[in-house]
Amino acid sequence: MTAFAELFIGGLMSGIVVGLAALAITLVFGIARFPNAATGDAMTAGAYVALSASAVTGSTIIGGLIGALAGAALGVAAYALVFRKLAGRSSVANLLASIGVAFGIRAVVGLNFGYQQQMFQLPLVRPWHVLGIRIQPNDLDLAVVAAITLAAVFIILYATPVGRRMRAVADDPGLAQVSGISPSRVMVALWALAGSVSSIAGVMYGMKTVITPEMGWNMLLPAFAAAILGGIGHPIGAICAGVLLGTLQEMATPFVGFTYKIAISFVVLLIVLLLRPQGLFSHAEGAR
Amino acid sequence: MMNRRQLLATMTSATLLASTRDGWAQTTSVFRIAAFNPITGAGAPYGAGMQKIILAAVDEVNAAGGAGGRKIEVLPEDTQTDPQAAVLAAKKLIEINNVQALVGIWSSGVTLATIPLANDANILLMCTSGAPEITTSKINAKRLVYRFNTTGDGFGKAIAEACAQEGFKRPATMAYNNASALGIVEGFRKNWEQKGGKVVGAVVYEPNQPSYRSELQKVLAAKPDVIVMGSYLPDTTIILREWYQTGETQKWILAGQAAGPDLVKAIGLEASDGLFVVNSITNERSTAFSRYDAAYRKAMDQPGIANIYAAMAWDMVTVLALAMEAAGPNANPSAISAKIREIANPPGKQVSSFAEGKEALKSGKVNYDGASSSLDFNNLGDASADFELSVISKGGLSRKYVVKL
Repeated sequence: MTAFAELFIGGLMSGIVVGLAALAITLVFGIARFPNAATGDAMTAGAYVALSASAVTGSTIIGGLIGALAGAALGVAAYALVFRKLAGRSSVANLLASIGVAFGIRAVVGLNFGYQQQMFQLPLVRPWHVLGIRIQPNDLDLAVVAAITLAAVFIILYATPVGRRMRAVADDPGLAQVSGISPSRVMVALWALAGSVSSIAGVMYGMKTVITPEMGWNMLLPAFAAAILGGIGHPIGAICAGVLLGTLQEMATPFVGFTYKIAISFVVLLIVLLLRPQGLFSHAEGAR
Repeated sequence: MMNRRQLLATMTSATLLASTRDGWAQTTSVFRIAAFNPITGAGAPYGAGMQKIILAAVDEVNAAGGAGGRKIEVLPEDTQTDPQAAVLAAKKLIEINNVQALVGIWSSGVTLATIPLANDANILLMCTSGAPEITTSKINAKRLVYRFNTTGDGFGKAIAEACAQEGFKRPATMAYNNASALGIVEGFRKNWEQKGGKVVGAVVYEPNQPSYRSELQKVLAAKPDVIVMGSYLPDTTIILREWYQTGETQKWILAGQAAGPDLVKAIGLEASDGLFVVNSITNERSTAFSRYDAAYRKAMDQPGIANIYAAMAWDMVTVLALAMEAAGPNANPSAISAKIREIANPPGKQVSSFAEGKEALKSGKVNYDGASSSLDFNNLGDASADFELSVISKGGLSRKYVVKL
């Protein structure tokens, strides 16, 4: 029983990282209406900047905040240089452009920081034992960071004027423009938000594993799966789907082994989409 | 002003003209090889050193007057330690650059993926990969593939010997899901069971996971006293960090490709203390090794012993050049391959460099004694080496003893 509890906790933590990346994807998908393949490499870039910043300032928290700011700047730069020009085009054109942006970011990161692996120098700590279950203190810290990030995204989306405008654009872009909402300001805010969420996801991933230029790209597929499962454009859905897939994946390992556990999350995605095509949290949309 | 038909004709003839340029280059005496190394990816700790040493070795060969009447030209490429990316790069090297040898492939996945391309083009392939399948008669049917390292099987055997000597009774294994790591772990299991022992737990894990806690949990549940792992540096870092944070106390035996100064830097002095590392050793006392060491220090500002794969890469160029010299002018890769065992194996005058061997070939056979091993290839293209068991203590690797197979 404790074995399953520990598997659940492990899956929960993996799921939170994937969920945050899925959150960044779903924000862009909902408002800019295309799948952003540069999310992964924004994660990588954020992790590297946070690493350098924490080495310079000596504090991981400040490093992470600077990483989040760098991610926001990167998102706005990508919008200004690439995606603004492609605003009216099909989502495929935007997707391909985002893949190009991803390669560009990865190349710059690789040239600047090198291809050898790097790590956050966090102290190694022994776990707490609660009811016979091992709980890592680092995991709790990361969960708190994820909760704060989610809360911040929510406050921005639901309690600020720019968030209201973002939701309006997500709901119906034409109507929003007619109502006098300036698209470029909303987009800048959106890309800054998505960029900083990607960076935070990247920093968390970097803290749990190692930092290499390819790390973010490898996270893209699970993050996309979680974004689709949660319903496109639903922030809570993205995080919940990420956690769901992560926990189901890990808890299935005693039955399917470690090589096929990745397949389990896609089987779950398949089943849910067959039964409920709009994802877990979205409303079914029709066109007349 | 040209009309459309004239434009089309001009463009076609210009393209045809441009494509024949490469063909004209073939008739001048240059032997083109590709330095096909892992500059990025899991092999990145070794790839840059391998590539630089290949360039240095080729410079030496050309300075001695070339081999078989030809100068060697090197095209450096990155395999990214990824089979998909490497196949694309290999296709470009073979079809567009017309290389006649792929030299210095590190990863088993990349080697297994590019062997069909090399065989179809009838060119040589020299690798340091461990997967046992590489030198089977089915895959190496044309005998154009040479492995300058020991197979994973041999690795596993050495680990089993070390395990027995250290007195472990309950080993468990963890393996990265690819040919090389599985080869090492399978080799260990086979040899351990031959000694009458039992492997208490076995886990195979996938790359690029956010966490390896569940894999670790399964291995630890079997209560092993030592864990034998076939892995690479990034996943080893993550797994050992997570293991240390569980508070468990068993020992680890790691393959040399994953453990070294980089691992110590990554997980720190405390977590790395007491880790066992089994690695193939270079031919340390040979003259060829000291020549390689000097070249490596010049190119990378580090001792040659830090990168045993670079020693193998150095030998690859020397062996290729000596075989080209022995095969005579304008020999194709198959003819060169036929000479490789002749110049690398006994009988013959023992030589330690290309210049020495070129001179000695004028009066009889040679036997190249390499920097990485004595390089006595069997008929399937395998060289063999000895192993060492080292222990990481206080951040440094120190040899405990040599394991002879």
